[in-house]
Amino acid sequence: MNKAGHKKMDRVFFQNMVVRQIRQDYLENITGFAWLILQPLILLAVYAFVFSTIFKARIPEAAEIGFVPYLAIAFWPWTAFSEAVLRANSSITANADLIGKVAFASEQIPLASVTATFIMHMIGYLSVLIVLQIMGTHIHWLFLLAVVPLMVLLWVFACSIALFTSATQVFIRDIAQILPPVMTLWFFTTPILYSSSLLPESIQSIAHWNIMAWFVEKLRELLLFGDLNVGLSSLVIIPFIFVFAWLSLKYFRRFSPHFEDFM
Amino acid sequence: MQRLVHIKDVCKVYPRVHKPSERLRAFVALLLGREPGDGVEVLRDINFDVFQGASVGIVGENGAGKSTLLKVLTGVIEPTKGSVTTKGNIAAMLELGAGFQPDFSGLDNVRMKASLLGLSKAELEERMDDILKFADIGEYINQPVKHYSSGMVVRLGFAVITACRPDLLITDEVLAVGDESFQKKCIRWIEEYMKQGGTLLLVSHSMYVVQKLCKKAVWIHEGKIRKFGDVYPVTQAYLAWHERRRAVEKELIVNATGDAAYYRIEHFALAGEQHQESPEAEFDDDPSHEFQMGDDIEVELRIISPDGRAPVGLVGVVRADGTPVYGVASDHEHVKPVKIGDSLYRFRYRLDNIQLLPGSYNLRSHSMDPEGLRLFDSHEFPFTVSGNTKELGYIRLPHQWLE
Repeated sequence: MNKAGHKKMDRVFFQNMVVRQIRQDYLENITGFAWLILQPLILLAVYAFVFSTIFKARIPEAAEIGFVPYLAIAFWPWTAFSEAVLRANSSITANADLIGKVAFASEQIPLASVTATFIMHMIGYLSVLIVLQIMGTHIHWLFLLAVVPLMVLLWVFACSIALFTSATQVFIRDIAQILPPVMTLWFFTTPILYSSSLLPESIQSIAHWNIMAWFVEKLRELLLFGDLNVGLSSLVIIPFIFVFAWLSLKYFRRFSPHFEDFM
Repeated sequence: MQRLVHIKDVCKVYPRVHKPSERLRAFVALLLGREPGDGVEVLRDINFDVFQGASVGIVGENGAGKSTLLKVLTGVIEPTKGSVTTKGNIAAMLELGAGFQPDFSGLDNVRMKASLLGLSKAELEERMDDILKFADIGEYINQPVKHYSSGMVVRLGFAVITACRPDLLITDEVLAVGDESFQKKCIRWIEEYMKQGGTLLLVSHSMYVVQKLCKKAVWIHEGKIRKFGDVYPVTQAYLAWHERRRAVEKELIVNATGDAAYYRIEHFALAGEQHQESPEAEFDDDPSHEFQMGDDIEVELRIISPDGRAPVGLVGVVRADGTPVYGVASDHEHVKPVKIGDSLYRFRYRLDNIQLLPGSYNLRSHSMDPEGLRLFDSHEFPFTVSGNTKELGYIRLPHQWLE
């Protein structure tokens, strides 16, 4: 006997959802796939121009490597994260017809949306790493073995936030307006364009607990400096991400049986 | 026999969700683990079970709660109160093109839908030819679904369901969209499926379809189960109620005379019954007077004649929607009423061996002046005729099949 409402996730259905999302978001329009690479590339060029040419930003750690690789290593994962969260936010309301007519575990919708964005951006990230290598930056490829689980962790984190926001979005439509500026704020408070060592001492200790800062710094340490340093913060942040993921699923499932009523 | 669906004390309230403040309040309530607040109650105290091999038709007017019941049953929505337990593999076609993505091709949508119904990739590939053959939409299968006609959407949707051979099949009025030959194909498939031990739950406004495919029926009225049982009595009662309701406006006009009438109907009763039908009870939804085909109906009618002359009585039977079936006046047949008081006359008449087909009727009586020219008062007596017959029309005519 299965009680209606407690629906299982289904592997084939989830795959179909991811493929459908990728096709819908990236492959339906001609520029879709190119745009995926171009958009962060253009932004990267703009930031590089503004910060290294106009502001003449000097980042001590980047002196040797150059500003562009230093930025690019952190910028793509951030874009994947931010885009995944923003796209997934409205995924429930966008799939209202599915939710109202078919019984299935609806957490699969935001999860598929995040997964689709991640798959596409990871392809982009890999090509950027290759381009950087060709342009003369020394990438520590061996440490990709540590970067892969890190990316999975980032995916888990993005999924958790997506579960929170997409479920809330069904009830409070303002989330769609609030989220983009919040993500922008988060972008600038995360040491992507700069290094955390440039922050004043007082802020540094707080900024340290920004999970995205942790991701960005780990990525740079691994890929640019070949430095596998677990660190104390990792021991707190990694378990926290899993607890957060569990909480977000609990949260989502508290609301998901009522989605249909509020569409 | 195995029980596939068990619905216990189910209530469903759709919360008010129009204003942002209402949504916010519901959100906070849910966050704290409470109910999302009051709203429109669409289902109330629903209890029913579906056993393997059963075929149940769900009937009821628009907005009665039929579709909500199916949604609760399939788990698309949660009941506000009560519980729903299901067993086995359920395939539901709740709405036209449910779960189809308009921008994707028919083939992609078949894959999606099949995975929702729990079909593995291998099973799907194996049955794909059957699906395409059943849908029979030719080259359109590679076109986006948004270019499909509604009939093609149903063909495709139903074709996927035929491939997954569910334990319980639920359809909500979708077959009506397909063309004649496709409907027949579906009905043939459902009949075959039932023969192999399948279970069916069907919502339809076509009593023909319900009676053809279902052995039992549930009549949902204003969110409650009004009647549950064998398909014929339930569908007949539903149709009767429907006709009666449609007739209400018409009847009110006819009845405008009433107390002010000169030759007034003072009393009407069935033979053997004392009470007089009050005019207010005329359109009682569920008439207690039920006759079988072949019964006799005997009534007594008393008419007040202020001038003491014998009035004329006109009696007849009309269908609940007002369609006349038969009528006759006392003066046509040279019948005089019996004088039972100073200005009171009595008619008694009996309809022998009624050959009205099952349905809902009114026995209509009129009082007329002694010349039989002007009609003064009217009385309606609603009743139903029940029986197990598939004959069509209102009345059984004497007939025989010749060699």
